[in-house]
Amino acid sequence: MNAVEKAFGGIRAVDRCSLDVAPKSITGLIGPNGAGKSTLFNIIAGLYRPDGGEIWFNGTQIDGLPPYDIVGLGLTKTWQIPHELRNLTVLENVVLAAKGNSGEHLLNLFFRPRAVKQDEKQWRLRAREILKLTQLDNLANEHARTLSGGQKKLLELSRALMSDPTLVLLDEPVAGVNPALTGSLMDLIERLRREGRTFFLIEHDMNVVMNRCDRVIVMHQGRKLAEGPPATVKTDPTVIESYLGG
Amino acid sequence: MTAAAPKKGPAVEPGGFPLNEFIVFSLIGGIVVIGIISAVIAGATPKGILTNLGFYVSVAIIFSVLALGFNLQWGYTGLFNAGIAGFYLIGAYVAAIAITSPAPPIVVGDVVVYPGHLGGFSLPLVVGVLLAMVAAGGAAAVVALPALRLRADYLAIATLALAVTLQIVTRNAQNITGGAIGITSVPPPILFQGTDASFLNAITMVGIGGFVLFALLVILQFMSESPWGRVLRAVREDEEATMALGKNTFSYKLQAFALGGALMGLAGALYAVTLGYLSPESSFAPAVTFSVWVMVIVGGSGNNRGAFVGAFLIYGMEWLSVQVRDQAASGLAANYLLMSVLFIALGVGALLAVLAVQFVGRRVLDRRRAWLLIAAILGAFGAAPAALGALPIGWCFALFVLLFGFAFVVDRAKKSRRARAGIYAAATLYGVGWAFILLQQLAPNAVADSFFYIRLMIIGALLILLIIFRPEGILREKKRVLR
Ligand SMILES: Nc1ncnc2c1ncn2[C@@H]1O[C@H](COP(=O)(O)OP(=O)(O)O)[C@@H](O)[C@H]1O
Ligand SMILES: [Mg+2]
Repeated sequence: MNAVEKAFGGIRAVDRCSLDVAPKSITGLIGPNGAGKSTLFNIIAGLYRPDGGEIWFNGTQIDGLPPYDIVGLGLTKTWQIPHELRNLTVLENVVLAAKGNSGEHLLNLFFRPRAVKQDEKQWRLRAREILKLTQLDNLANEHARTLSGGQKKLLELSRALMSDPTLVLLDEPVAGVNPALTGSLMDLIERLRREGRTFFLIEHDMNVVMNRCDRVIVMHQGRKLAEGPPATVKTDPTVIESYLGG
Repeated sequence: MTAAAPKKGPAVEPGGFPLNEFIVFSLIGGIVVIGIISAVIAGATPKGILTNLGFYVSVAIIFSVLALGFNLQWGYTGLFNAGIAGFYLIGAYVAAIAITSPAPPIVVGDVVVYPGHLGGFSLPLVVGVLLAMVAAGGAAAVVALPALRLRADYLAIATLALAVTLQIVTRNAQNITGGAIGITSVPPPILFQGTDASFLNAITMVGIGGFVLFALLVILQFMSESPWGRVLRAVREDEEATMALGKNTFSYKLQAFALGGALMGLAGALYAVTLGYLSPESSFAPAVTFSVWVMVIVGGSGNNRGAFVGAFLIYGMEWLSVQVRDQAASGLAANYLLMSVLFIALGVGALLAVLAVQFVGRRVLDRRRAWLLIAAILGAFGAAPAALGALPIGWCFALFVLLFGFAFVVDRAKKSRRARAGIYAAATLYGVGWAFILLQQLAPNAVADSFFYIRLMIIGALLILLIIFRPEGILREKKRVLR
């Protein structure tokens, strides 16, 4: 990813930011509030159009592509503020995230009803498996609006996993999740990484960042400030000055 | 209201008994029964009554189809259509032009009495209907294509503009649409001769309409409960999030909007053959759009049954107010005996309904509702003696005061809020019942006319109550429990 920038009015939310995320890594993105981290994620996921720069994913240039095509390539993001589909159930939310469910095409409904039924059944099973992983399975048939803040974060993660992504952008995945669950959630993420997925995550919980990330990127005022293994970044004087120190 | 407003309990339907459905279908049944009674009072023949009822049902079916179309757009996908009347108009005119026989201009001397209209292609009904659907659906897609890419309100503005423009154009493009006179003599599906023609025609239209509505409900239910329908609901909830879940939301919005438009076109075609004539003024006025909104909101959006039930209810009130004005009033003024029979019949009917409900679901029906039903019966029965003339009005008034006083005393003695509410309601209904009778005796036409003119206020008041107590409509969207 190269020299990406995005301005809102006079604010340069992301200012010529260049960075790389290594495959099969867990890379952390930290920085003070308003640094432009979420904006950067939205740009990568195709929800905002960048004002400049280019973004590459697995050999494909993805800047300018619509978000659904980017998801199709295997890059999914979660939201810092959960975007649960309120009046759908938890299970519906997750099943919806499946890629290539044949019943989502109107013509298939009428011309390939069998395949549609079969497909939907498979996806429901898969969704239930994922809900077990994220420990939401007992809430599967509740409306998503009834979940607590932390549960909504889990739902975000569940949906992301449902799309079978190679790269997942997690925007503060454990903020609001209870501490006991945070641990098992990060274990899950590490396990999925070993299975070959890549995670790029924004997190304010320094424990998570220091113990679980392979590399950390620090952003400040829209720019990349530092990059490296957690231990190095932690002692970087510029980082301490702008962020960790206060 | 304090910050800690009492939390509404979970909206659980009491175990199994479909109370809301029961209420809705009783209301529709009530509309039909009162309509029939009005006709009987006016001395209509059985065939006349059935013709009349057939008209109610076939127009309600047309509105149901409109409501189903709007429900697909708004209830499922969250797309607001402010120009339902426009797509309806397209369907009606396209179908009419396709299936009528040629209608040349009529000129008497130098005066053009009738400007004629385009074509008159004498095509079969089915072809006309399909053309109507394609035209209206295509128009919906054309409007939506640019508007859906913009902010949500642009769609409302664009559709509203389309509807208004179309109404003006149909009025002025005389050679195509027959101008203000419109298109007359649209052929019915089957041409009947003789005295029973209108009766047979009404029955045919109910049959055809009923079949179309049933088929639509089945297909729409299948589509909207499918994975495809799930994406529509997701778009309604949060389009951005749905996009981030890998769905081409624009394409789904376009599909839903075009299909909804096609349904409105179908409704237009049904309208053309049911009524047999078209003119731009009343049938395709903005009021049609508003009515359909109300139907979907009242019935419960995001739910096909809701749309259809809302149409039968709201159009039913419209139809009933005409029946009462035109038939019941004159009949009642002349016939006190019938009037009292009417009230007794209503009372007995309500009593039977309560007994049935109590019997079916003693546990199920919550107390408060039972009290209200009982109160309604008391009100109806309370009015009957006055109607019979058995008791002088003075006595009725005394009874009313007694009943209300009783309510007051019970209120003081018992602290049960439900009992109190029930008794007050009973007393009030009783009072309203005989006040109505009194007015009816003194000024029968005034009552009927005012019922006709305040029907919109009644609908408005109902809407307000609904929005306060049940914003999701009478039949709420059900939770989809997946296995
Ligand atoms: N949609 C938007 N419109 C205008 N300004 C925005 C928008 N989104 C973010 N910003 C601004 O961009 C800056 C970066 O925000 P954000 O990316 O959310 O920061 P972070 O996630 O690092 O806390 C902030 O100053 C914020 O106010
Ligand atoms: Mg953020």
